[in-house]
Amino acid sequence: MNICIFYCSNSLDANALKQNISNNEKDEVNTVSLPCSGKVNLLYLLKAFENGADGVILVTCGQNECHFLEGNLRAKKRAEAVDSMLEEIGLGKGRMIVIRKNNEGIKQITTALEQLKKDLS
Amino acid sequence: MIVAERKTIPELVEILNGHKKILVLGCGTCVTVCLAGGEREVSIISSALRIASNIRKLDFEIEELTIERQCDNVFIEQATEAIERNDVVLSLGCGAGVQAIAERFLEKPVYAGLNTEFIGVLEERGIWTEKCAACGACVLHQYGGICPITRCAKHMLNGPCGGSREDRCEVRPDRPCAWQLIYQRLKGIGQLDRLKKIAPPKNWETSLDGGCRVIIREDHRI
Repeated sequence: MNICIFYCSNSLDANALKQNISNNEKDEVNTVSLPCSGKVNLLYLLKAFENGADGVILVTCGQNECHFLEGNLRAKKRAEAVDSMLEEIGLGKGRMIVIRKNNEGIKQITTALEQLKKDLS
Repeated sequence: MIVAERKTIPELVEILNGHKKILVLGCGTCVTVCLAGGEREVSIISSALRIASNIRKLDFEIEELTIERQCDNVFIEQATEAIERNDVVLSLGCGAGVQAIAERFLEKPVYAGLNTEFIGVLEERGIWTEKCAACGACVLHQYGGICPITRCAKHMLNGPCGGSREDRCEVRPDRPCAWQLIYQRLKGIGQLDRLKKIAPPKNWETSLDGGCRVIIREDHRI
């Protein structure tokens, strides 16, 4: 299983994320840091799928917590557009997940990651 | 500007099925501004087609290129080599762009990747609305700059129809009644007297009814 995690560097500690995500023979998880989740556009996310990702997780800041005010809102809309496009393409819905950060910290991400792997397997 | 929307990926796959080397050709003018066929959309659609090709084992080889204008020879020439080394062109230009490319490369299949919708404006971020029907005989001066042909659902030159509710069109309640807008605009600029004149039936010969239109400017020809 190949999963790609795009995350806003203001919402997650990159070291903590890497320490809590393990790659093994079965699974490969790649992380991409963004200055703001609003930096992603459709092409970033589609390219991940084109290059072999089975699923993509986009981590945004919590509601009203975006350092750039509305980057997290834009990111969510773009992810929804990609999810629809994947359905058009024939990959089906549910491979593009958006996580709005809450107080759980890194556990929220690892839980979502395991759930996505389970859903896609 | 000309406003267009991309065709769905299944439609594009069906159009391209059977071809191998595909040039996805964008246009840097109107369709870039309406986010349908510019450089970024070329990359997005190409990426989507590559994924679709992998799933369906279609073996597409996709090249991407965007030129400044697909309806202009000077810029089309810049795409010549790319067009010649591919089997087929998927044009993300408007209908004029697609035909301009097809007319210049007679032995190359050229397909439309977009549906050309209308001449319009960006109303607000992500919303485009139709403003002009390109009828060939503009009457905007008579109606305070609001086109009754395009913006009235019944294309009435002597409105309103009487069916509007508040200021909403009865055919499309999500749109304002064009005649309400015309009245308010003419009132605002002190030209309500214009509404007292009855407009004669419009001569549609200047529009599509007269066949494919041509403009010849002898002062620009040698």
